[in-house]
Amino acid sequence: MMISKLQKTTRSVYTMRSVHRSATNALPTLVQHAVVERPAPQETVTASFGRFISGLGAEHLTPTVLQRSKRMVLDSLGVGLLGSTTEVFELALEHCQQMYAPDYISSVYGRTGTKLSPTLAAFVNGVAVHSMDFDDTWHPATHPSGAVLPALLAVSDMMPPNRKPSGLDLLLAFNVGIEIQGRLMRFSNGASNIPKRFHPPSVVGTMGSAAACANLLSLDPSQCSHALAIATSLAGAPMANAATQSKPLHIGNASRLGMEAALLASRGLEASPLILDSVTGVAGFNAFYEDYMPLPLNLDKDKGHSFLIEVQDIAFKRFPAHLGMHWVVDAAASVNKLLVGIHSGTVSASQVKEILLRYINRPFPECEHQARHSFQFNACSALLDGEVTTQSFTADAIRRPELAALLSRVRVEHPADNPANFDRMYGEVQVTLDGGDVLSGRCDTFYGHWRNPLTNESLRKKFRSNAGAVLPRKQVEDLIEAVEALDDLQDCTPLLLQLQ
Amino acid sequence: MMLRKSVTRSFGAAISGLDRSHLTDGVISRSKRMMLDTLGVGLIGTRTNVYHKALRYSQSFASRDQSQVWGSAEKGLPAQYAAFVNGVAVHSMDFDDTWHPATHPSGAILPAVLALAQVLPQQPTGLDLLLAFNVGIEVQGRLLSFSREALNIPQRFHPPTVVGVMGSAAASAKLLGLTPVQCTHALAIAASFAGSPLANAATQTKPLHMGNAAGRGLEAARLAWMGLEGNPDVLDLESGFGVFFTEYNPSEMADVGGFKWALESQNVAVKLFPAHLGMHWVAEATLAAKAELGRGGESDGRLDDIRSVTLRVPPSKYIDCPYPATEHQARHSYQFNACSALLDDRVTVESFGDALRNRPALRELLSKVRVETPEDNHPSFDKMYCDVVIEMHCGKRFVGRCDTFYGHWRRPLSQEDLEGKFRANASTVLSSEGVEGIVDIVRNMEQATDSSMLRLHLQMTTFIPVKGKSGELQHGLHHGADAIKDLMERRVAHKSAGGDHFVFLVHVALSDALTHMRAAQLADGRSGIRSVWVSVQRKKPSQLTLV
Repeated sequence: MMISKLQKTTRSVYTMRSVHRSATNALPTLVQHAVVERPAPQETVTASFGRFISGLGAEHLTPTVLQRSKRMVLDSLGVGLLGSTTEVFELALEHCQQMYAPDYISSVYGRTGTKLSPTLAAFVNGVAVHSMDFDDTWHPATHPSGAVLPALLAVSDMMPPNRKPSGLDLLLAFNVGIEIQGRLMRFSNGASNIPKRFHPPSVVGTMGSAAACANLLSLDPSQCSHALAIATSLAGAPMANAATQSKPLHIGNASRLGMEAALLASRGLEASPLILDSVTGVAGFNAFYEDYMPLPLNLDKDKGHSFLIEVQDIAFKRFPAHLGMHWVVDAAASVNKLLVGIHSGTVSASQVKEILLRYINRPFPECEHQARHSFQFNACSALLDGEVTTQSFTADAIRRPELAALLSRVRVEHPADNPANFDRMYGEVQVTLDGGDVLSGRCDTFYGHWRNPLTNESLRKKFRSNAGAVLPRKQVEDLIEAVEALDDLQDCTPLLLQLQ
Repeated sequence: MMLRKSVTRSFGAAISGLDRSHLTDGVISRSKRMMLDTLGVGLIGTRTNVYHKALRYSQSFASRDQSQVWGSAEKGLPAQYAAFVNGVAVHSMDFDDTWHPATHPSGAILPAVLALAQVLPQQPTGLDLLLAFNVGIEVQGRLLSFSREALNIPQRFHPPTVVGVMGSAAASAKLLGLTPVQCTHALAIAASFAGSPLANAATQTKPLHMGNAAGRGLEAARLAWMGLEGNPDVLDLESGFGVFFTEYNPSEMADVGGFKWALESQNVAVKLFPAHLGMHWVAEATLAAKAELGRGGESDGRLDDIRSVTLRVPPSKYIDCPYPATEHQARHSYQFNACSALLDDRVTVESFGDALRNRPALRELLSKVRVETPEDNHPSFDKMYCDVVIEMHCGKRFVGRCDTFYGHWRRPLSQEDLEGKFRANASTVLSSEGVEGIVDIVRNMEQATDSSMLRLHLQMTTFIPVKGKSGELQHGLHHGADAIKDLMERRVAHKSAGGDHFVFLVHVALSDALTHMRAAQLADGRSGIRSVWVSVQRKKPSQLTLV
């Protein structure tokens, strides 16, 4: 076939791309945007901006620009000076002086003796949590814990020694943070699907962190509302930064900024009291959604509260990549088993003529962050190795020639019955061998998904392997115990100490 | 709206009200699993490259580098937080400039540029600052042209949080001398820091938007400088910067060769009183109507005879506020600004204070105001107008109209009035020497070889309170004369941009010992004296005096 011939060529991507376009004209529309979606070679608007900013020189400034901008400078200084007498300025200033002076207060994961101001500790620890896309995923889609826990630990570090929260206090605040995220995500049907516009942790995560911190700080109801409203002004980052280094920043920021919102609210800073309500013409939290239907969250004093985490469990990842990869990897791993059976223990690219992958796209990942978001990469890794692990994303593994050879044989389809939804999607891998034999594997629910949760044993194994990379074995085990007994812990200090 | 229980409040109540007894066994066990897992992935995450960058970046806050807080001789903060608080200051009263398409362009840029300049190894020249500032303004103008939606008064996101943070990143990137690729990433990272919904307008949180735009843009540029990367196509994508608009048509920036500044073809509006720009049409139209009423031979007392006041303004939900409850709402209320103008013949800084805001006469008048939104009155600062119709009990009607208020880009403030506004504002905090010095420095900014003069003058407050315990009074005396000399050279004697010598005579209204301690303390960056008055005067070169 035309396609397989083309895929075997090693000509430049550009010529391949144009030839391929004409070649695909005759194919069913499903296949049209498969195979090659490399960045277009033409100049992008963004690059033109970058070049502009860098290239502009003082000689470009005209007299009019100079004159006008000086006027603006002068005026701006004046209003700023007067503004420094306002109450809101005082609040912001106090906040900064306490929070951002060199304060060695809150500890940093895995670093003995390294301390930062609380919000910055929340930031870096949040970044750590999402740095590999290894943290939990909920339905509707978000990574709920990474936005909440670092903030809570940083706040706990901040509290005086005799008034540290108990383990239960911590758990409560944590659940408040998780619950709020779940509630907010149910305000929009769009949130049920894998997001296209805003990265959910940057939206609901920031709110969850604010809620959790507000709870731990025992803010009053009005302050808690304001904490959410302030957090809304700090929320929201576009999806386009997924698969880049900036994605982990989203969680770090969610954690830090939510905490900041709660601290500002505790100082009495106020924001819109209708932020979650749908008010036409003045967008609040609904600015982040296309459809939006807010529902009150009432707490019945007599009846208990039904937490969403009860009805909807969480998915844990087994390897550090976007959740969607786990279906494809399990499907591909089952094909790997078949292949190993046929070919006495080894899988090589030369056996494979074509791989048909039913799902989304990133054909040739160029870095670890792209690899964590590439169905093709994860399918091929699993096909080769029988599994995907932390090591699969090292630079060496990504650049293996066998892997590149396999990647060039991948075709992706988007069947209509496979929605971009973590509750309903599936992954299917079909491998056509050179002889014409077709092997296929399918995964409806991977191990780790909320319908097929990791056993405690598997979860601890994952923890030991992760924590053990940084901490001594004893400390790893102590941590497991501390968390296990958290609800009985009178004072969370031991937990805080174990993390360094 | 008043009676309905808001979702937000119910959330607040739930967050505050939930307690341990609500936790069930299922919840505890599941959440513990999540925590354990999160800790683990966090721990292994500490070995990643991106984490190291984030950590290194955050540790830089613990450095001794401090950027100045405007209008204060004492307070210094890490650069991004100085940018933050100064940005908050600029927008705290909604008194800063407005551009078209609508945003407040300068408040996101200048605090970032000045804060960053202070921590650079080499002080930029005045021209460097102007360049960086303009790059920041320009980027905002370009981005605003990507969507027709931006032409109108906004409904979803507050523009300074969208384009302002990008502008700040661009300006900071420029000042840092980043490469094209780094500049691109600075914008990409900034896009992840952008976007606050409009609902927080008319609250205390709105000024935070400006502070965040300044601080986070600076932060994005510094992260890019450290090598952090974002999506380099962020401006090209609907899922990138496009998320902030309902329709989005990005276009490339022209090559620097044939480049035309947006600021050339479109000037900014400068406000004469601290309120949302739309209020400026209302105030002028109201005064015109009142003048008519005066010409009709009516005395002031006749305000009681007003039956109704009708405002014909563009539809915009967030500035239509019949009974403002706070100063921030008053700055966003057509009704309030019309009534203030009617009662006082002007709207000023004081109009928004508690005393004037809560006057019974004003409340009474507010109840007579009706707002109409004719179809031909577009919610755009370039097209809108305001008609005010005052109807008396006797049936007489007096009409005033404003198409272009004084300060609008079609009718800009004279230089004299602009400086007058600056003097009035700045003198609330700075000594007259500080005020006049800044007027001079900015006037000659493109010639300044060292931009730190501006910061020096921003510190010339009329009163410098020094916090500390009296027991520490002895401390300063131990500092050597060198420290004091250094202080005099660095902070007191300066050559101005124009070549004349500025010499500052420091009068300390206490003893010489205190003078020395104060000097040593400034030089040493320490605080040990309870309070000292310092007045700073500008003298001719011949009068050079070292204290």
